[in-house]
Amino acid sequence: MKIEVVRRRFAVSVALIIIATVVAFLIAPTTHNGVAIAIVLDVAVACVATLTLPGLRSSHPVVARAALSMLGVVVVLFVAFFLPSASDFNLATGAAMSIVLLGLSFLTGASGQISLGNSAFMGVGAFTMAIWANHHATTPIFITLLISVVAGALVGLLLGMPATRLRGPYLAGMTLAFAVAFTAILGEFSSWTGGDSGLQLPSEARPPHWLVSLFHSGASPLTTSTLWLTEISIVVAGVAFFFMANLFASRTGRAMRLIRDNDVAAELVGISLPRARVIAFVVSSAYAALGGALWTLIDNSVSPPTYSFALSVTILSLIVIGGIGTISGALIGGIIYAYSTNVISWIVNQTGLNPQGNFASQLNGIIFGGLLILTMLFAPLGIAGAVRHFWHRARNRSSG
Amino acid sequence: MDAFLTSRIIADVLGGLTNGVIYGMVALSLVLIWRSTGVLNFAQGAMPMFATYVGFALLSYHFGYWACAVAALIVGLAVGGLTERLVVRGLYGKPEINPIVVMVGFLIVLEAVAAAIWSSFPRSLPSPFSSIDWQLGGHPVSLSPFTVYEIGASIVVMLLVAALFRFTNLGLQLRASALAPEVSRLLGVRVGRLLTLGWMLSTAVGVVTTILVSSNFFTGLTPQVNDGIFAFGFIAAAVGGLESPVGAIVAGVSLGIILQFVQDYLNSNAQIIVALVVLIVALMVRPNGVFTKSSLRRV
Amino acid sequence: MIAIDNLSVSFGAVQALRDVTFRAETGQITAVLGANGAGKTTLLRTVSGLKEPKSGTIAMDGQALVHRKTEDIARMGVGHVPEGRGVIGEFTVEENLRLGAMTAKVNLKSGLEEQYDQFPVLGERRKQHAAKLSGGERQMLAMARALIAKPSVLLLDEPSLGLAPLVTAQLMHTIRSLCETNDLTVILVEQNASSALRIAHRAVVLHVGHVVANDEASVVAGDENLRQYYLGLVE
Repeated sequence: MKIEVVRRRFAVSVALIIIATVVAFLIAPTTHNGVAIAIVLDVAVACVATLTLPGLRSSHPVVARAALSMLGVVVVLFVAFFLPSASDFNLATGAAMSIVLLGLSFLTGASGQISLGNSAFMGVGAFTMAIWANHHATTPIFITLLISVVAGALVGLLLGMPATRLRGPYLAGMTLAFAVAFTAILGEFSSWTGGDSGLQLPSEARPPHWLVSLFHSGASPLTTSTLWLTEISIVVAGVAFFFMANLFASRTGRAMRLIRDNDVAAELVGISLPRARVIAFVVSSAYAALGGALWTLIDNSVSPPTYSFALSVTILSLIVIGGIGTISGALIGGIIYAYSTNVISWIVNQTGLNPQGNFASQLNGIIFGGLLILTMLFAPLGIAGAVRHFWHRARNRSSG
Repeated sequence: MDAFLTSRIIADVLGGLTNGVIYGMVALSLVLIWRSTGVLNFAQGAMPMFATYVGFALLSYHFGYWACAVAALIVGLAVGGLTERLVVRGLYGKPEINPIVVMVGFLIVLEAVAAAIWSSFPRSLPSPFSSIDWQLGGHPVSLSPFTVYEIGASIVVMLLVAALFRFTNLGLQLRASALAPEVSRLLGVRVGRLLTLGWMLSTAVGVVTTILVSSNFFTGLTPQVNDGIFAFGFIAAAVGGLESPVGAIVAGVSLGIILQFVQDYLNSNAQIIVALVVLIVALMVRPNGVFTKSSLRRV
Repeated sequence: MIAIDNLSVSFGAVQALRDVTFRAETGQITAVLGANGAGKTTLLRTVSGLKEPKSGTIAMDGQALVHRKTEDIARMGVGHVPEGRGVIGEFTVEENLRLGAMTAKVNLKSGLEEQYDQFPVLGERRKQHAAKLSGGERQMLAMARALIAKPSVLLLDEPSLGLAPLVTAQLMHTIRSLCETNDLTVILVEQNASSALRIAHRAVVLHVGHVVANDEASVVAGDENLRQYYLGLVE
């Protein structure tokens, strides 16, 4: 019976893949991107087919998570393909932001602590990326990204070791001090960081030839750097989500949740509290650095004022509104970030505020700060928590 | 020692003392609120900033400096009390990140609203005292009427707070509410009201420091006026152990003096970096604070 | 007098007290006995307003106490000496006493003198931090701090906990004489049933939230079943 189901599903998937490929090639002459569309559609169908296999979640959770991440990446890529390039830019920065949010969500969800230094850790990644690219222009992008991640993790270790040993608000306060100090630190090392003007990447990131050659025409949208960078960000975010989902479910992740809920019990079952907290903090710093490095790549430059304390507060607001301690919360927060500027300027237009006025320029802070307070007071698990809550209620009601 | 070096050191110590008493007072307010309510008040700088703006809005109606200062203090008391009642009260007993997040949100809202109403440009408060150093035998002595006012007012406020806690019935009840809220209630102490009072007092103390800092001709009042001061105040409080009021003041004053030397011999950018290093080292060496007895650690 | 009628208290799904009814008369010691988890401490906390009951009433001399704030109940003349005594270790002996006198409208100076007469050891150590006192002295301090406010009702939660037998006997004697000289209503919660029964006028025995006995102390003390099954007293 079960084998029967699997077989039927396999047949349907293969049929869908063939249909998708044929359709893609049919529309190819008008869009010039048939091969790319075909690949995207085929991967999507394959992922859905994998995900819907009965019992996969319990028997092969890693495969299920991989398929889910891949499906997410493919869907967003597909959407990005049809969006205008201004929106692609938003999507790329939002994808990078969702990586940062993921790190913070893990830190808080796993250890019950919070960091206000994510702007600075992003800055560490962003500047490492720029400095390395300026000194070793030939290093492949992905290696440079990894180097930035390592730099973030090291700085996280340095700061996390003293602060995570203590309960209470020490980590929050110390990371706040780091965030405030960060621009001063950049200024101290201005020969490396370029001082107030920041750094420019030596060359624009371009897509590799094999990818370009998938397209009939050299003038296809994929060869513009915006879409290419958007794609890098989305793929990297997908990989980051995949790793984090596994980390959340791993022994370490479970141990950390135990710490958050009851640290005395955790200590009794033999978990080293300080170590687990340091690990959580280092992971979150590394994720923030990755997000910052991507930003440098997307902007093709980096400037110190971007990484001031205000950014930390934005990050905190996003994850709290999305749902702190959850993976989906980071995704929601990333999407909010991608389009928040558009929404806020829409509000300014609708309300007839003077866009150059004091009030319009402060609207961002007022809205985000206000939402931060209201969410924490009335829905501490944010949108993700609220959705989950209503979902469970609806299910309980329907099942009686 | 040659005269130039001596006078430079004296100037640094005096200048450091001026900043140090400010950091000490911020640290003291943080410790008092932390001990009594378990909330690290990240809006400790923003609340008095807002009150000071409101109080000194009276300048436009031709009120004098002192009238505005009194008005700012009264507004500060109100802001502190209302915040405790409306924002903080629902957070007692919640996980420790909840109050942190809410107070950070409050900080952002207050700074944004202040900038929306009064703009981000520095607004200078008309100091009643001159900032020009006195002369002694033709040489400036790095002490001006304004510095004396700044240090003097800080010390007076600290002594008043200390006297309130040490010698009055109200102070005894405030301390009891912080140390043993349930026992205090069993003895008839109205703990809820006292917590409100604690927030009112700490905001008022913050108003004093904000007025002192922004009366300085060179800084002025901005929505972000207390951001850096808050960071230094927190560092002082954490080095002092977050539990010890005396430790907070001592650490604040010491930090002020150390940072003045840093500014003089390195540059002003290096101050926050050195402060951060001090914090890291202090937490590594004495995790529970330089001035906290290890048995008093809060669990 | 304290009148408790049909009092039920629960912690979530766990019911700590079910339909508890008894009277504690003025000038008498009413002992509340029972094993760990019988609901004794919960009973006192509910009287003091630290815990809201699910149903039932508590009245002091005809005035309802339920739904009042703890602070107000204390100000009405209910002195509660909590389990573990609740002396503030960071305060000196005298500061602890000052705190007790503060909210009641009593003269501090004569109140202090009275308590130092009653408990001379506290007078000797008035400037010492309460953390430095011995267990028995802390219990004295906690009682003195409650008594200085001139309460009409005294709730004592396990006063003998952690005390040597000799000190316990002395303490019980003090409680009895305090009750008689001040005409107090005393509710004495004790796990140490034999010492409590020696001085109590009446005794209420609780078992997992139920009242299983409510009678003269001597009757309870003489009931072989109660002694064996609920009080853990075997000859």
